[in-house]
Amino acid sequence: MRLSRRTFLEGVAALSIAMSVPAMAKAEELKMGLLVPGSVSEEGWNRIAYNALKGVEEQLGAKISYVELQQNPASFEKAFRDYASQGYQVILGHGFEFQDAALEVAQDYPDTHFLISSSHVHEGNVIGLDTDTSQPFYLMGVIAAKMGRKAGLVGGMEIPPIQVAFTGFKNGARSVNPDFPISEAYIGNFTDTTAAKEAALSMISAGADFVVPNASGATVGGYQAVAESGPDVRSFSIFSDYTEVAPNNILGLYVADYAQGVVEVVKAIQAGNAPTENVVFGLKDTKVMSFTFRDDGPVSVPEDIRAEVKAISDKIAAGEIKTDTAP
Amino acid sequence: MDDMMFLTFAATLVGAAWRLATPLIFASIGEVFSERAGVLNIGLEGTMLVGAFCGFAAAFATGSVPLGLIAGVAGGMAFGLIFAVFTITIKADQIVVGAALNLLGMGLTAFLFRTYYVSTGKGIEIAQPIAIPFLSDLPFFGEAFFKQNLIVYSTVLVTVLAALLLYRTSFGLTLRAVGEHPKAVDVAGRNVAAYRYGAVLIGTGLAGLGGAFLTLGHSNQFVEGITSGRGFIALAVVVFARWSPIGAFFVSMLFGLFYALQLMLQAQSSIVVPYQLLQALPYIMTIVTLVVVRGKSAAPSKLGQPYEMR
Amino acid sequence: MAQVNQGVRENVYPQATNPFLRTLAQIAISAVTPIAAVLVALGCGAVLLWLNGFNGSDVVTVMIFGSFQDVRSFGEILLKATPLILIGAGLCVAFRCSIWNIGAEGQLYVGAIAATLVGTSIDGLSVWVHVPLVMLAGALAGAAWAGIAGYLKVRFQASEIVTTIMLNYIAIIMTSYLVTGPMRDASAAYPQSARLVREAWTPRIVSDMRLHIGILVAIVLAVGLYIFLQRSSRGFALRVVGLNPHAARYAGMDVRRNVMIAICISGALAGLAGAFEVAGVTHRLYQNISPGYGFEGIAVALLANNNPLAAILSGGLFAVLRSGSEVLQITSQVPQVLVLVIQGIVILSVVAFAKFRDILRIVS
Repeated sequence: MRLSRRTFLEGVAALSIAMSVPAMAKAEELKMGLLVPGSVSEEGWNRIAYNALKGVEEQLGAKISYVELQQNPASFEKAFRDYASQGYQVILGHGFEFQDAALEVAQDYPDTHFLISSSHVHEGNVIGLDTDTSQPFYLMGVIAAKMGRKAGLVGGMEIPPIQVAFTGFKNGARSVNPDFPISEAYIGNFTDTTAAKEAALSMISAGADFVVPNASGATVGGYQAVAESGPDVRSFSIFSDYTEVAPNNILGLYVADYAQGVVEVVKAIQAGNAPTENVVFGLKDTKVMSFTFRDDGPVSVPEDIRAEVKAISDKIAAGEIKTDTAP
Repeated sequence: MDDMMFLTFAATLVGAAWRLATPLIFASIGEVFSERAGVLNIGLEGTMLVGAFCGFAAAFATGSVPLGLIAGVAGGMAFGLIFAVFTITIKADQIVVGAALNLLGMGLTAFLFRTYYVSTGKGIEIAQPIAIPFLSDLPFFGEAFFKQNLIVYSTVLVTVLAALLLYRTSFGLTLRAVGEHPKAVDVAGRNVAAYRYGAVLIGTGLAGLGGAFLTLGHSNQFVEGITSGRGFIALAVVVFARWSPIGAFFVSMLFGLFYALQLMLQAQSSIVVPYQLLQALPYIMTIVTLVVVRGKSAAPSKLGQPYEMR
Repeated sequence: MAQVNQGVRENVYPQATNPFLRTLAQIAISAVTPIAAVLVALGCGAVLLWLNGFNGSDVVTVMIFGSFQDVRSFGEILLKATPLILIGAGLCVAFRCSIWNIGAEGQLYVGAIAATLVGTSIDGLSVWVHVPLVMLAGALAGAAWAGIAGYLKVRFQASEIVTTIMLNYIAIIMTSYLVTGPMRDASAAYPQSARLVREAWTPRIVSDMRLHIGILVAIVLAVGLYIFLQRSSRGFALRVVGLNPHAARYAGMDVRRNVMIAICISGALAGLAGAFEVAGVTHRLYQNISPGYGFEGIAVALLANNNPLAAILSGGLFAVLRSGSEVLQITSQVPQVLVLVIQGIVILSVVAFAKFRDILRIVS
């Protein structure tokens, strides 16, 4: 069972009114730490977490700090412990790989909350936060199958956030046309923009007219390929706004405002009302996840398809369509 | 696959292979010069990163790709100068210094990128493909061979120039002699160290150009570790190519071909082999080739050894 | 392919009659270079920080002292030092024999894979059997992986520099395949192996700290390798082969055999390091089990002047730098990659100072 976000938010609202301003001011200074498995300078996975941290700083006035850990499991536990021992109340480990280390440290710091991105864990003060990217990708798949001939997906490494997204895309496309051809390739890392670009180019030359890259730092290479291949190839911007890179090709934007989601969770924790289950953000959380169409580009999605997508989106939000089940 | 599809597939493959080979061609031809003069520079990966970063930084600031390329080459050479001072003047072990420069190159570019480029927006305008009239309209292979950007085309020019320089000029002759019989060069009154400096700077300049191609001629952003091991592959290319510039061109193309094939085969949903096997293929192939060609026989005899003057 | 001018290194020590005094003098003199090198590197790091608008003195106050907050953070340093000492000490043996094994990273991965296989597939063994078994599996796998490069070198004259680099990529790709495929944890969607059974976990030294007995094993092995290199006839043979293979051959030594032994020893220690990372730290196999310990180990061996005993200290120092760079980022938001720059400069300074010392010796 997943936490219902609506009741959760209402609870938070009620509580913050009840506690009112003086009560909040009495609370000790909020400190939040972040562990990322790479550099926050690149557009992509790590930047999302950095933006979330910034959001908490701006909206909740928290003191923030982050550490870039170069995918080093041996350092995870130490970093959690460093933050926890310095009195940080909330620590976000950005990726499922932080889960084991957080569980270990959490036993010694029962008052600290450990949030883990891309995880479904919930044990005491360790709370998984997942953004269900299969949902927006399902919508992209629907559009691709309705408007295109063939789709191509370029992934970084084969890890859950990327696999889940691609599963959603395939489910969406196949809900329209069970035989819609989709090819998939992984470049095996998140740094090789050149490989991402060539993978996308080869898909396009093999007839793909919808290409969506999803490879963190290397993603931009995929958009570059789309942009160079002319307006007949379409794409969707994911996570960040890439319309500047491929202005003639991007039909719509999936924007994840992870910050909003994290801010809400941190607010609840601050109010002594931490989530009692793991949190999954989806299209139902309109502040966190949005899928929008572009109107300023030379290509756009026709009205009738937009209406259908809207209807499907509502059904997903209502839980009537499951987007992430393996086909 | 029918014939038409196969031809399209092959044409795409060749076009992609050439682009993927380009950074390898520059870096490995550069390394040929260096190694022919007896200097083994395993710091290519770090040097290429420096080239990629300097190229990006210059183009981002000025908006000019040619300036970026110049900066990439200059960055590579500046980095190569450190290598040359340590290995030629101080006569330190080449592998030790190369390993240090790899760490330095990775660390420095990542440090500066994280410090100064928190957001680079849409990045830079990269060099655009130029379609050669008529030829690029040829069916199938027209675009693969005749619609690339200038940097990709220039690999042919660089290869030819490198071969001429190495085999047809007295500079090249002396340079090769420095790697085989430095004492003879010394006796003949030529400065061994000066030739080695020249070889290293040519080598690292080209490595810097190879790195700069990644940010200026292919993707429009710098990403930490964007070279993704190409500097190490270039070392293998040199051995595989038996220290010949023309050989380096074709071996790099072969690596590019494998890399492109790997990406394209993954996208063919009918292929059931794990894609990691395809990814490992170029590396396995390098090892197999080393065994088959028995690399050592063609290696410059004084490779890796500092020269002690009389 | 490459020959090190090690004759110079070996004979720099002054002659003293008392063996104890001589040893002491040797240690003192050989310590000067690395200490000076580290100081220079920290100085350069400080300048780099200062130039880029950070607080330069942080390099010393935060990076060096900041990592010694309490017993636990000291334990964490030793935890990071474990793989570095193991790999560094092993590489000392290979480098002394003039084998340029750049492949410790891959050997570490293969060791981690083997340790995971042994640690997850067998159940019900006693700790006393399972722990050594896991370690043995890691070491053997690492040795075998390095042995491939060794065999190709002695049989086909294939440059070990190139083959070990290629074997790194192959090992890392293989790990990625295994944790997303056959070895993936069936109970979760993540690309990670199942958890090792409890009996296979490397025992901790203190129960509430992560530091495990691997550090003791690393120190014992480093001391053992030092004695092996300096006192055993095999160790002598390895060094002779490293200095001059032709002379060694002339003296009736089996060069190929010695090359194989040296590279396999270095591979075994790297494999063991991988086994400890899995069995002692993460308890699972991941795609990125090592943050580059294999490459850092090269620097550890070089800073130690290819002396396994000194590798204990240089491994410890690199662990301090690594821990410190993380503290530095948390407290001052300095990009953690600074540590790579400092490591690079340490190596360059060692090289420069060693030359400087030789020049001084010649002059005097």
